[in-house]
Amino acid sequence: MKSQEPPDDIHPASGAEFDALLADYVRDLERQVEYIVDDCFFTVGQVVGMRTTVDYDAVIWWRDHYRAKFLSAMETFGNRWAQDRANVTSVAIMLAERAVRYAEGKPSIDRDAARKAAADVERYCELHARRAARAMGVTLSDDAPARIAGYWCNFEYPDPQTGG
Amino acid sequence: MTPAEEVDYVLNDCFFAVGQAVGTAKSLDFDAIQWWRGRYRAFFLHAMTANGNSWSRDRHRVTAVGRFLGQRALHYAGDQPSIDVRCASLASRDVEAGCRMNAEREGVEPERLPAR
Repeated sequence: MKSQEPPDDIHPASGAEFDALLADYVRDLERQVEYIVDDCFFTVGQVVGMRTTVDYDAVIWWRDHYRAKFLSAMETFGNRWAQDRANVTSVAIMLAERAVRYAEGKPSIDRDAARKAAADVERYCELHARRAARAMGVTLSDDAPARIAGYWCNFEYPDPQTGG
Repeated sequence: MTPAEEVDYVLNDCFFAVGQAVGTAKSLDFDAIQWWRGRYRAFFLHAMTANGNSWSRDRHRVTAVGRFLGQRALHYAGDQPSIDVRCASLASRDVEAGCRMNAEREGVEPERLPAR
């Protein structure tokens, strides 16, 4: 087992240094989250294709909703996009299909269809997260699955035996 | 919303339009997303601040250009499984050349071209 002692060349940061480092870290995540949201909009567009189009109100709603979720997940778990991209874009495919379905009979995907599709996807992700946790014998607080659901629905829980 | 706040919504709207045209046959490399975002965020912001372009007025036209961008990228990707930065940049070159020609036809001065 590796030592838990910090390496000699790392010194504890002062309060101000720590705040500055944290601000840099958050700024970096805020920059990275934009690429991730773009990637998801691209995927949703791919799946919707030319079957219909999307209202700007719906774009605004999706962006506000998922940017916040992404950023929250990244602040908790770090940027796992390289590992999660395939899983997350799979969820985006589901989001697009649900949105097209809710937009049936309408000229485009409106805000209401976007919101309902997101609710369906998040319900699915939350169930998936709870099932995965149960299968691994992990007990979660009531809000934990909701927090990691959504785009990070395939988050791997720590193994209860090893903690790893 | 200020242009600086709105530009990211506009880019999301355009990425959706590009995806519509690309369809599900090919994926998009993450590098290409970064390249397109960097390029068009600057262009759009300039159009919105310096030229006073309004997204509500221009959206229909600009998302159509976004779909054209997707079509060109798909064309350049050929047999490749994904659209990489090279395909993205070639597609941008085509689209921007088309926009310049269109603007000249409409009598818009080159330095005042709506960049998006």
